[in-house]
Amino acid sequence: MKIVSGVLLVIVLLAGAVWWVADMTPAEPLEIDNPRIRLVPGGAPMAGYFTIANHTDSPIRLVSAASEAFGHVMIHRTIVSGGDARMEHQDSGVLVAAGETVAFAPKGLHLMLMGARRELQVGEDVEVVLGFEGIEPAEHSVTFTVVPVTSS
Amino acid sequence: MNPRRIALIAALLLGLTACGDESWHGKSIEGLMPELEFELTAESGETVTESVFAGRPVALYFGFTHCPDICPTTLARLVAAARRLPEPLREELQLAFVSVDPQRDGPRQLSDYTDAFSDRMVGLTGSQRQLKAFTRRYRTTYGYEEERSDGSYNVSHSSAIFVFDASGEPRLMLLDSLGVAEIAADLERLLSREARNADNA
Repeated sequence: MKIVSGVLLVIVLLAGAVWWVADMTPAEPLEIDNPRIRLVPGGAPMAGYFTIANHTDSPIRLVSAASEAFGHVMIHRTIVSGGDARMEHQDSGVLVAAGETVAFAPKGLHLMLMGARRELQVGEDVEVVLGFEGIEPAEHSVTFTVVPVTSS
Repeated sequence: MNPRRIALIAALLLGLTACGDESWHGKSIEGLMPELEFELTAESGETVTESVFAGRPVALYFGFTHCPDICPTTLARLVAAARRLPEPLREELQLAFVSVDPQRDGPRQLSDYTDAFSDRMVGLTGSQRQLKAFTRRYRTTYGYEEERSDGSYNVSHSSAIFVFDASGEPRLMLLDSLGVAEIAADLERLLSREARNADNA
């Protein structure tokens, strides 16, 4: 009886340790959250938003984006100053420092997806390949969801 | 100076600024700019003037349809705020989107775009001469950046929503930093005051 409870105790402790270690390890070195494309009608460019979390201990840089659903994708930032708005192309990409998270969100960083090759619908999935420097593999295919233009 | 004192002073200063502006969330432009007046082309293709709003209050935004980020963000907030207005104020308010990019924003493009936000939003654009006259009148500017190899180009424009009352007087500038609740509060306050004045008249 004593032996059985001893064995049980060891099993429980081991299971606990394994669960704890699993919990400590980040699932992915690079985590892309909430990827979405805001649908704009009439052939005008659309914005893509998401967050990038860099779980590695060195900086990574988003340098490119491309999608078969669009003719051209650019990395842009909206700048508002003195009551005027303009867009700035991110020539050198976007740096995500070690352990940091960068948000692509309305009125800031966004993907500008131009020249839709087909008519998109709300709820549809669109693959976008994000290209990085400082991490292997360099290309990450991310599934974006098409959301209404009135969503944030 | 300790952080708590700095915070207190900051709060007081913010409070004072708000009081100075009659506690609008936006910026009051009452008496600072001329009344609404323009000649532009509507999304129907017709040439229209300010009389197209038929004496209703208007919330107007300058932008362009090839603007994927700030334009839809601002228009969506405006539409959400307008939806929060109590009846009959909601029916009163007219929404207008003025494209400063007539080269790409023809009537069809404009009407597809504004319909995506609200059936009560009218799209307007015009010649460079008309657009310059209109934007100058409200002390704002727009400009075009260099064309890219694919022929696309960026446009800079005002980031604020201009609100005019039923008589075409400029009343508020709603800055892009305002959220839906703040825009709705300002619109409701302005429009209910308008409604009261109309009842008394």
